[in-house]
Amino acid sequence: MWQAFWALLGAAATVAACYAAGALLVDWARAPLKRVERFPLAFVVGASVLHLVVFAVLALKIAYRPLVVGMLLIPIAWAIWKGSWRLKGDAVEPLSLGLKSFCTAIFGIFTVLYFFHAWAPESSPDGSSYHLGLVARYLRAHGFEQVVTNMYANLSAGVEMLFLPAFAIGKHSAGALVHYAFLVALAMAMFAYGRRIGKPWTGAGGALLLYASPVVGMDGSIAYNDCGVAAIAFSVFYFLEIWDEVREPRLLIPIGLLAGYCYAAKYTAVAMTIYAFLFVAWRSRKVRQCAIVAACAAVMILPWMAKDWIYAQNPAAPFFNKIFRNPYRRVIQDQEYADFLSHYTVENKWTLPLEVTVRGEKTTGLLGPVFLLAPLAFFALRFREGRRLLLPALLLFLPFFANVGTRFLIPCLPFVSLAMAMAVASIEGTSLLAALVLLHAVASWPSMIPRYSAKYAWHLDRILWKQAIRKIPQDRYLAQNFSMYGIARLIDDNVPKGARVLAVNGVADSYTTHEVLVSFQSALNDDLADILDAGWDESRQPTRRLTFKFPVTPARRVRVVETAVGGPLEEFKVHELRYFYQGAELPRDPAWRLRAWPNPWDVQMAFDNSPATRWRSWEVAAPGMYIDTDFGKFEFVDEVTVDTSFDYANVRLQVEAMNPSGHWVKISADPKTDVILPPVDIRRWASRDLYERGIEYILMNDTDWGADDMREDLGAWGFKEIAKGYGARIYQVVKP
Amino acid sequence: MPEPYAPPVQRQPFEDARPHRMSRMVIMADSDAAAHFVQDIAAGDPAPWKWTNQKPTVKVVPRTNLQLRYVIDFSLPEVTFKVTGPVTLSFLVNDHVLESVRYKAPGEYHYEKAVPAEWVVPLKDTLVAAAIDKVWVSPTDGARLGFILTRIGLTQ
Repeated sequence: MWQAFWALLGAAATVAACYAAGALLVDWARAPLKRVERFPLAFVVGASVLHLVVFAVLALKIAYRPLVVGMLLIPIAWAIWKGSWRLKGDAVEPLSLGLKSFCTAIFGIFTVLYFFHAWAPESSPDGSSYHLGLVARYLRAHGFEQVVTNMYANLSAGVEMLFLPAFAIGKHSAGALVHYAFLVALAMAMFAYGRRIGKPWTGAGGALLLYASPVVGMDGSIAYNDCGVAAIAFSVFYFLEIWDEVREPRLLIPIGLLAGYCYAAKYTAVAMTIYAFLFVAWRSRKVRQCAIVAACAAVMILPWMAKDWIYAQNPAAPFFNKIFRNPYRRVIQDQEYADFLSHYTVENKWTLPLEVTVRGEKTTGLLGPVFLLAPLAFFALRFREGRRLLLPALLLFLPFFANVGTRFLIPCLPFVSLAMAMAVASIEGTSLLAALVLLHAVASWPSMIPRYSAKYAWHLDRILWKQAIRKIPQDRYLAQNFSMYGIARLIDDNVPKGARVLAVNGVADSYTTHEVLVSFQSALNDDLADILDAGWDESRQPTRRLTFKFPVTPARRVRVVETAVGGPLEEFKVHELRYFYQGAELPRDPAWRLRAWPNPWDVQMAFDNSPATRWRSWEVAAPGMYIDTDFGKFEFVDEVTVDTSFDYANVRLQVEAMNPSGHWVKISADPKTDVILPPVDIRRWASRDLYERGIEYILMNDTDWGADDMREDLGAWGFKEIAKGYGARIYQVVKP
Repeated sequence: MPEPYAPPVQRQPFEDARPHRMSRMVIMADSDAAAHFVQDIAAGDPAPWKWTNQKPTVKVVPRTNLQLRYVIDFSLPEVTFKVTGPVTLSFLVNDHVLESVRYKAPGEYHYEKAVPAEWVVPLKDTLVAAAIDKVWVSPTDGARLGFILTRIGLTQ
């Protein structure tokens, strides 16, 4: 029960602090907000300010619990003292009884569903792993720290910054409740917008279309950030509309802050930053006003860029690694990731509309069948307000092509929903709109969704009130219903404190204090996983030797150069590179100097005499990539061998030596290819290489590739099983 | 760009090198055991042991057919043995009978025997089974219980 209480308190305090900070700001900015607009808009703009304060506290490494709690109390006290706390502003025209009852009924019933789900123990995959996992990590470290093993640590995290004070008080559920508060604020703001433009049914219809949408309910009631992003984007739009009406210059401050907060919350929402800037430029045609917006946006954006520049050598990390080369993220991972996100498991893109509205499995979540009618929104073009809604809708829709997950439609959904409602109300009046909303609400109720969706569609399934108030104990509920939680407990119970764990797939990081290195989350992890996989996957083992023979050449520097373009996602890979003279290998001398391009950081892996490690180019093989050896003095060389694997099929290499004038000269380009056998105990080579790199614990799900191979002969791997359960095993690497 | 690197410490071969031994055992306690069941093994959550019907069969995919051994751990419980009396178990691989053994007393048993290479095709589904000649039939609901299975499969 106490867990439930602290969760509510943590969320309530954070939401109150956001509102208080926002209320102070909107009062200072002389924003002429109506009473119904004050809470949602003040909350979101206050969130932008508070997020920056949390960022500063983490950057200064002073995130101690008393300070974090005090950080929430100060704006609340200040707002009360200044009189900004109370809900003030002009009243709007009262709603008709019919509209009021209609909205209350639908909003109320879905609120019960969502609120208890948000309050229940957090069991979402991403929420429990990185959204809250990083928050928990920063709290343990009392600030930011360089995380080179998790690319998610490089994403902007404007919404997650608000999870931090909530989490410090009420743990996981408090974070999810804060995100839910954004969803409520968004629905309230949409409703209020309808009333502002004199179309209350449009506001109500749009808000309910969004609020009842299954993917919105699911996402908004867990510790994700998409509904937060939607709320921020819509608030930018809303403040711009108010500014356009009253032209109060001070309003440009919250507009700029919110516009920058879009980027700070999610990179893809930068579209709204651009929109805000262009809108102000278009409507004001004044450089000074544009400069204010840009400067305030920069205040929100630059800290995140600076953090990534310092920690990841890339201000836009984890993307654009080809431009900002760094040792933490492989360029090819960008390509692999982008390739997957652009289609998930959807083979025919023409099925996407059906998938994101009705099926909901391949793209993880569904908007609801009513959104098949989304093109109706174009009828709203007849109205000025409709045209204003559809432009940001279009801008926020564009990133969907880069990530076709249904939840990536949530940021544009408020605009589309309002435009749809406006169009339907204008065509057939409010009764058709009411019928449409009612149909949507019925179709979106958990018990109805399985009647039309795909079997494993992502949606809520029931009201979790017993779980929320912890009548069913949190630990029991999670252990029985969320295997990732069980695995996290398994790690904490069996792995010594501070030891890193290598895993193929993600775990619920927020429920363990150990650092889990998930294979795809960084270059380091990927290298470690590649070593592990070399133990069992023959396609990654050195099974091919290219031998270059040439007349004796005295050379100080020799390099092996790629001359062909690799196949899709095919890298230039070298397990071992050796030099010979008269049949004897030149011993590797500590005075040698090794270079490689485009991955200079791993070049030693081609010179360590281990068949389990290899240098990889980190990019698709291309002419000009090389591995270069400077012997430090002239050596006679007449043979070079390159050991590689069969997953590097389009290999085309040549050997070059540097002549006295400093130019590279080709000395051989026609190697003999032989099939070679890796050592019979390559698994132990792999485990030893992991051990030498500080990896003593491996987590394998029973269904992971390679798991069978390990289970059936632990001795051959040099592993000891120390725990198993929840469909996974933890192995300890025995000291070689 | 980082500074050029020197060659690292050279890894040396292990003195006691041995090859990996394949083992395709279906252990009833494993979470993925049910994925291997073909027939006559009680479904449901993983458990340390499971009741079988007359011919429990599992499906495994061996990587090789060389030096394979059939392995099974099972129990003949006293409670059913009292009714059935001595039983004969036949051990099968891809429906080839490896051996039939008569058990005259209840208890825990381990059976293991080499499998002819020609019975198994590498990387193809291979059926591993054990058939009991007499089962206990429940007088109330007609449930048929053969024996208690702990693990079954092929290993090198």
